[in-house]
Amino acid sequence: MLDLIQNTIDGVMIGGAYALLALGFTLTFGVMRRLNLAFGAIVLCGLYAGAAAHQALGWGLLGSIAATLAVAVAAGLYVERLCFRALAESASIAAMVSSFAIWMQLEEIAALLMPRRTYAYPALSEARPWEWAGLSLRPDQLAMAAVALGAMAALGWTLRRTRFGLAARAVATAPLAARLAGIEPARIGSAMFLLACGLGGLAGALIAAVDSQVTIKFGMWAMLKGLVAMTLGGIGSIPGAVIGGLALGVIESNAQWYLGAEWRDIVAYGLLFAVLYWRRGRERPWTNS
Amino acid sequence: MLEVKDLAKHFGGVKAVDGLDLHVRQGEILGLIGPNGSGKSTTVNLVCGVYPATAGTVWLEGQEITPLPMHRRLTAGIARTFQNIRLFGQLTVWQNLWMAQNAPDHVREQGFFARWFGGQARARASAMDYLDFAGLAEKADELASALSFGEQRRLEMARALAAKPRVLLLDEPAAGMSAAEIETLDERIRRLRKGGLTILLIEHHMELVMGIADRIVVLNFGRRIAEGTPAEVQADRAVREAYLGTS
Repeated sequence: MLDLIQNTIDGVMIGGAYALLALGFTLTFGVMRRLNLAFGAIVLCGLYAGAAAHQALGWGLLGSIAATLAVAVAAGLYVERLCFRALAESASIAAMVSSFAIWMQLEEIAALLMPRRTYAYPALSEARPWEWAGLSLRPDQLAMAAVALGAMAALGWTLRRTRFGLAARAVATAPLAARLAGIEPARIGSAMFLLACGLGGLAGALIAAVDSQVTIKFGMWAMLKGLVAMTLGGIGSIPGAVIGGLALGVIESNAQWYLGAEWRDIVAYGLLFAVLYWRRGRERPWTNS
Repeated sequence: MLEVKDLAKHFGGVKAVDGLDLHVRQGEILGLIGPNGSGKSTTVNLVCGVYPATAGTVWLEGQEITPLPMHRRLTAGIARTFQNIRLFGQLTVWQNLWMAQNAPDHVREQGFFARWFGGQARARASAMDYLDFAGLAEKADELASALSFGEQRRLEMARALAAKPRVLLLDEPAAGMSAAEIETLDERIRRLRKGGLTILLIEHHMELVMGIADRIVVLNFGRRIAEGTPAEVQADRAVREAYLGTS
């Protein structure tokens, strides 16, 4: 029982970061109806910039996170212009395929500029874990979960209370009426795209800071976690992305504990398969946000 | 005010609008009528830029607006309502109006940040004026999808007005309304004209359109078959044939 509680706590903490990654996908998908396969590579570019700032310029945690966010948004702008703005009138598959190509390109650029496989990232906290009634809480994980929660609350406020967020929902549900009300979907979509990249950058920075390192594989890893979490919660649904992220974290950490590390991903993908089968033909993006 | 010159729209071989000329004068209500499939709604869609014209041009106050995309036509001064209601159902009533506040005046008086991330109090105050006009003030915070059919129609009109248009296009505003509702609609449209708004009214309900339009243009097969005052149009032989079938 104690193990289950401990696993669930650990899972919820990493799940907060998964949820941010899933939100990054969902926001782009909800407004633009486009899947951004370069999302992980965008996050990777940001993380490499943060690691470089740490190593070459001696920047601390906040500086590295700022560099990560800035470069993730800049890389996002590049992808948006190249794959989404330029192909706005084309079929959604065109944007998706070209974003796959840019994923490869960004990852190659990152690997050429910084050829080592692993780089140090400033640690979130080096405080020792807190022990209580047989449970242990890592302060850095707690900080990660708290920042992720804060970011989600801010996002929720933006989507529900600001004109920008409401316009994004208007564009997502009634694009023609939105245009005729004078809202330019492309602009709202671009802004949402960049916001999604910023959230992805934040999620990446939190995870890298907990691990104190970043590897070239992070882009692919972030893609998978984000896509699986988004799909678990229902593609395009914002509360679903949060629930999917938390669920993925909890399932993974329990599977790892009870079945062994090699089962961690097998159980998560097995569940993904089950959800896809069960929900087939029932995706209704943004209707319940 | 609003001019349409030699406008045409062909869908494949179908000539939905075929060489149409229209001129809506400043401050008047121009009624656009015609049998089903005569090209009325297509004309509205062309004026708003929902799809590009096959040929011809659209002018607003001497400026050609044909090349402008949809959202720019609103800022240029054209707002519309829809025959099939298209509200933002997940947003509240007043938020629907907030979304339409994109006229140059709105942009000028609010900065970029206030326009997208703040400025709610001011936006709401302005929206409430239009909701008062549409008789929806007490429903301001309800979801648009929770309104009755008649209320949704009124909200459509309020949202169009919130964009501070110079020309308002009403696409069958009376469709599905009761006689009492049509009467208040009639009175509201008259008040808008009094306020100096130019209106292009597409309507099937003859009593309404004959009662309030200053002039009427009759379409059939995408072409203008008659134009004049309501009395002149009602007396026109071609119009009767179009509606009743060729005798």
